[in-house]
Amino acid sequence: MPESNGSERHAAMARGLMDAVRARYGDRLSAEEEERVADELRRMVEAAEALRRVPLTNADEPDVLFRPYRGEG
Amino acid sequence: MAADDTLSFATVRDLARMLRSGETTPTALVEHFAERLDSVGRRYNAVVTIMLDRARREAAQAEAELKAGYDRGPLHGIPYGAKDLLATVGAPTTWGAAPLRDQVFNTDATVIRRLRDAGAVLLAKLSMVELAGGLGYNQPNASLTGPGITPWNPEAWSGGSSSGSGSAVAAGAIPFAIGSETWGSIVTPSNFCGITGLRPTYGRVSRAGAMALSWTLDKLGPMCRTADDCGLVLDAIAGPDPDDPTTLPEPYRYAPEHDRTEGFRLGVLRDGLDDAQPEVRANFEQSLAVLSEFATLEEVTLPDFPYAEVARIILNAESAAAFEDLIESGAVAGLTAPEDRWGAYARTVIPAVDYLRALRVRRHIGVALDRLLARYDGVVCLTNAVVAAPLDMPLDAYFGKVRRLPVGAAGNVAGLPAISLPNGFGERGLPTAMQIVGRVGGENAILAVARAYQARTDWHTRRPEVG
Repeated sequence: MPESNGSERHAAMARGLMDAVRARYGDRLSAEEEERVADELRRMVEAAEALRRVPLTNADEPDVLFRPYRGEG
Repeated sequence: MAADDTLSFATVRDLARMLRSGETTPTALVEHFAERLDSVGRRYNAVVTIMLDRARREAAQAEAELKAGYDRGPLHGIPYGAKDLLATVGAPTTWGAAPLRDQVFNTDATVIRRLRDAGAVLLAKLSMVELAGGLGYNQPNASLTGPGITPWNPEAWSGGSSSGSGSAVAAGAIPFAIGSETWGSIVTPSNFCGITGLRPTYGRVSRAGAMALSWTLDKLGPMCRTADDCGLVLDAIAGPDPDDPTTLPEPYRYAPEHDRTEGFRLGVLRDGLDDAQPEVRANFEQSLAVLSEFATLEEVTLPDFPYAEVARIILNAESAAAFEDLIESGAVAGLTAPEDRWGAYARTVIPAVDYLRALRVRRHIGVALDRLLARYDGVVCLTNAVVAAPLDMPLDAYFGKVRRLPVGAAGNVAGLPAISLPNGFGERGLPTAMQIVGRVGGENAILAVARAYQARTDWHTRRPEVG
């Protein structure tokens, strides 16, 4: 995919996430802060895209340990 | 009795000897360092609370025990400071955040308990970047105690987020301190303050009672004058803890007498060197020359992974969950740095699948880095490519693209131990540093290399002119 298309896609995804932020917290953010949050969302979308370039298979588990709990007795 | 300036900059090892030879007492140390914290420590915004009553009680007990021949080991009777994200009875635990200035806990963190069991005397809660810097601060002034200042230059930042731990030790205001690192928060202030700081393996030290920023990245570790002191402190605080299920099951013992002093094999990672300030680069090359006197050096490169992106997504997602109360209540609006007031909102909408993907990539990173590190006692690299930022400058503007070197993200994502060592001075008279990164569980190997380096150099003995 050409880079400009990638950037447009990232921007569109960031805008979608920004709508969610606005719905939750819009009353707390000034216009300038909304702009900063949008920038941060775009960086996070780009970071997630970088992760998608690492090949993973169904067998690749998240590196987090779950221990089923059993209390004493 | 020992002269005051002898005490201020003595190592833990030296103070332990002086306590046993009768040159000083635990009570004298508490009074001396309480005065230093109040005068010198506060000058650098290093102090949140001096816990004089508790410290006097603990010192009196240590004194009585030592007199009676009950010796708890090298930390017995020695005062220390704790980053103000560790729960302690008898003082607020502010997490560096103005909205939490009155927060109190009725138990001590495991690390505090272990240090008490080792006879160390808790004297102060030390300042930190608010919420350990987890919400994206971009200015040195990001704490309820004001910007952390390095004792080497009153117009330069101490680094963060363990700011007070770094500057108080460097200023001779406390013999050692406990810091925490999620992504750079021990090694960076150690670098900018010219002290020695050890980030242990993830899980080596219990985080029970410590503020959580990122459950799968947070580590606690010692910040001291020497590598040897870091080993002594780590020995006291490490080990499994039922209150922290992420602790490693193996016990840890620091036993320098059994370690090699030469014949090491080190990888050399030149990450960030091309973009480093000239003095940082020159000092690193000089360090390699010293290391080559007792180690074989071999150039290495990091395996190709998006380290910073993995670290960012994990940190952002976990911090949004850890601070959900502060975010949802709007209390973040009371934080000091403007970026911290809105920075968390973006994190609340990270897709779960992105977070899980980061954790899946993380496993590959761990395997690849272990393969690399298994060939060496450690990998040596820059701690930071630049010296401390000026107090009045946005951090991104000063650090540019080298604010976070890839090795910092890689080491923290993989849970690797690292030790930062002062190795000279750069612009504005500020300290430079290198770090040695080890394999998981490899603290003793990197400590041995660090001790050998410090046996041949005197950067760790240099003192700022603080009075």
